[in-house]
Amino acid sequence: MKTKKSAGNVLLGNEAMAWGIIEGGATVVASYPGTPSSEIMGAVNGIKSEHGLTIHTEWSVNEKVAFEVALTNSYLGRRSAVMMKQVGLNVALDPLMSSAYTGVEGGFVLIAADDPGPYSSQTEQDSRYLASFAKIPVFDPSSPREAKEMVKRAFDLSEQFEIPVMVRPTTWVCHARQGVPLGRIEGGDGAPTFKKDPQRWAATPRFRYILHKELNRKVREIATKNNPEPVFTPQGAELAVIASGVPYAYAYDVIKAMGQEKRVALYKVDLPYPMGPKIDDLVQNHLQTLILEEPYSVIELQIRCREKVRGRLDLTIPSEGELTPDNVAKAIATILGQEVREIGEPPAGGRKPSLCPGCPHRAAFWALKKALPKGIYPSDIGCYTLGLNLKAVDTCLCMGASINQAAGLYQSFRQAGAEIPPIVATVGDSTFFHAGVPALINSVHQGACFVLLILDNGTVAMTGGQPTPASNGPGKRMEIEKLTEGCGVDFIRVVDPYDVPLLIQLLKEADQYAREEERGVAVIIARHPCLIYGGRDEKREEGEIIIGEECDSCGVCTKRFECPALQEGPQGTPVIVRALCVNCGVCLYVCPQVAIERR
Amino acid sequence: MDLQMVIVGLGGEGIIFMTRVLVEGFYRSGHPVISTETHGMAMRGGSVTSQIKIGDYQSPLIRYGEAGMLLGTSVVEAQRNRPFLREGGTLFMNTDQQGDYCVDATKIAHGLGNPRGGNLVLLGYVLAHLAPAISLEPFLEVVKGLSPERFLSGNVKALQEGWRVALKADKKRRKGKGIRRHG
Repeated sequence: MKTKKSAGNVLLGNEAMAWGIIEGGATVVASYPGTPSSEIMGAVNGIKSEHGLTIHTEWSVNEKVAFEVALTNSYLGRRSAVMMKQVGLNVALDPLMSSAYTGVEGGFVLIAADDPGPYSSQTEQDSRYLASFAKIPVFDPSSPREAKEMVKRAFDLSEQFEIPVMVRPTTWVCHARQGVPLGRIEGGDGAPTFKKDPQRWAATPRFRYILHKELNRKVREIATKNNPEPVFTPQGAELAVIASGVPYAYAYDVIKAMGQEKRVALYKVDLPYPMGPKIDDLVQNHLQTLILEEPYSVIELQIRCREKVRGRLDLTIPSEGELTPDNVAKAIATILGQEVREIGEPPAGGRKPSLCPGCPHRAAFWALKKALPKGIYPSDIGCYTLGLNLKAVDTCLCMGASINQAAGLYQSFRQAGAEIPPIVATVGDSTFFHAGVPALINSVHQGACFVLLILDNGTVAMTGGQPTPASNGPGKRMEIEKLTEGCGVDFIRVVDPYDVPLLIQLLKEADQYAREEERGVAVIIARHPCLIYGGRDEKREEGEIIIGEECDSCGVCTKRFECPALQEGPQGTPVIVRALCVNCGVCLYVCPQVAIERR
Repeated sequence: MDLQMVIVGLGGEGIIFMTRVLVEGFYRSGHPVISTETHGMAMRGGSVTSQIKIGDYQSPLIRYGEAGMLLGTSVVEAQRNRPFLREGGTLFMNTDQQGDYCVDATKIAHGLGNPRGGNLVLLGYVLAHLAPAISLEPFLEVVKGLSPERFLSGNVKALQEGWRVALKADKKRRKGKGIRRHG
């Protein structure tokens, strides 16, 4: 992300957390991009260069790598932070679980950003569950300002108890803007010292038991002091609302707007895990209690006696989807026996996301559909998931799964002795580096035969154009060709997807190699820089695209190719939207009448 | 000031930039403010929404039926998101259609030789309806701070022109049926 000039201290939640990391004195910061967490690292890098800081920052190849690099700095008595989205934490779950046992010397803060809704993820899972699963404390900020302070508090708590600490913001903290006061940038940590202690850092199962006992002691002690903070405490309140994160903010606004501060008590939870004993007293002392949290129920499940407790578990609040001021207001009004104001949501519709005009992925998907129309197309996580719109994406499970699913398809058809259809996995360059490499090694080693189409646009585009291991960096640039060769692939071709006829031909050859000759995995690298983040495209031809008289309004270019620059005009004829058209010329190959020309 | 605003449009139209100008401008004007914006997959040309709350608010999301102002960079998105508006709230649209609070910001921006400046014309137009509770100065400062050098003077002019057009339209309206104030 390019650092933009900031006017005043109005910060995006992600920028505020970056300041928390810097002011907290971190010396190693690592991340893998993912919505809604991506802008934290961009902001850390921006502050680092603006203030001439020497902290080590890296966009790691995946979340597990980022976690382990940052964690080790905290083994050495120094402060570190690692940032990722909630599903990224699944990838880093292994080191998370184990590091809770080993603990840390220097403060170690894990920021896992959740996506209730979800807006831009394959699940709306709750990272606070993983904090409680790992038995580490988790902060749940309700605003950008608070998120920054909680990052700093997390460093302190982490150091005090020698335990990794999670900060779990959600979308409307990460992508909210607010005035945020800035503090001083501290000097950072001293020299790293590695105190050899094999019973801790290399503990065998027998010592792991002791570490677990120690972890339980830490969690119990943190819980003792962790009780809900009173916000509105009217005498004889019939309802107590206990809330954390953004739902707390909704509750505050809604109770005030309803004028119910004199009837409804409001308590705020900063640390949803581990909860102390006082929450049970609160529940006992009120007629009813409403727990507001998202996306799952973490606080609610820690309450011992839930008979008087309402929340997501008894469906007072729907148990899926994000909380909104509307469903919070509805829940409170219903419990108070008040009339609920119903206002319909905006009608569905609107415009769905689409690949950009001139996106090289669209060209690649078009060629794929032309070359192997009867194929099965496992795909992956990134902008190119929007290949769905071109019906060129059949599966999307999680990072790197496309390659394993292609292998799984092959093994299933082969085992059954059935005719094997063309199988083409599509994966982006960054996703390939992230989790695709072990998958490819496995496919090759297990003798799977399929086509792997690597969509190489040179960047992590969906999340804002972060670098990949093939970008320039402090060390060597990785080359996808060599990497695939090293994985044992013998069929490797590189092509610019704008050359649609050549890509069609190569896909047919690759399918022949993989399917008819059964010789293994055939790799095609479709390489063309991202039009948004890839810098200037020097090779693009001159001349405007026009629609000639041969056009018979068949709708192929507007509906099936679905380029945003080709819109249906009044009489159903396609019209080129000049403001959007980038003159890529890919549509010249798309028109069945060859009516689209370059002038 | 107590005001809830919603901005709607399509990904890539510059909604985030508009939101930043408003939020930082209100902040500089001394008003507490919190806002949201859309990132990620929805940004790829899909429908996007920004919400801005000025006043004693803790959360950035606006309930349906509570926005005092709804700003649409396109008519389709503006009409679809009408449920956000409270009774008596105002819908501002960038459109070539005639109507109260409609402004052909795109055309005005073209006239200024800044075809990308339509959003800022619309913003200037909207902000004028909050005068005299706010002045344009802090917002101009923010635009200057956020604009790349080559767009700086064009962007400043666009914001000023929107403000001017609104005051002119307001005068006309006052001659007719009286004016509506916001904020």
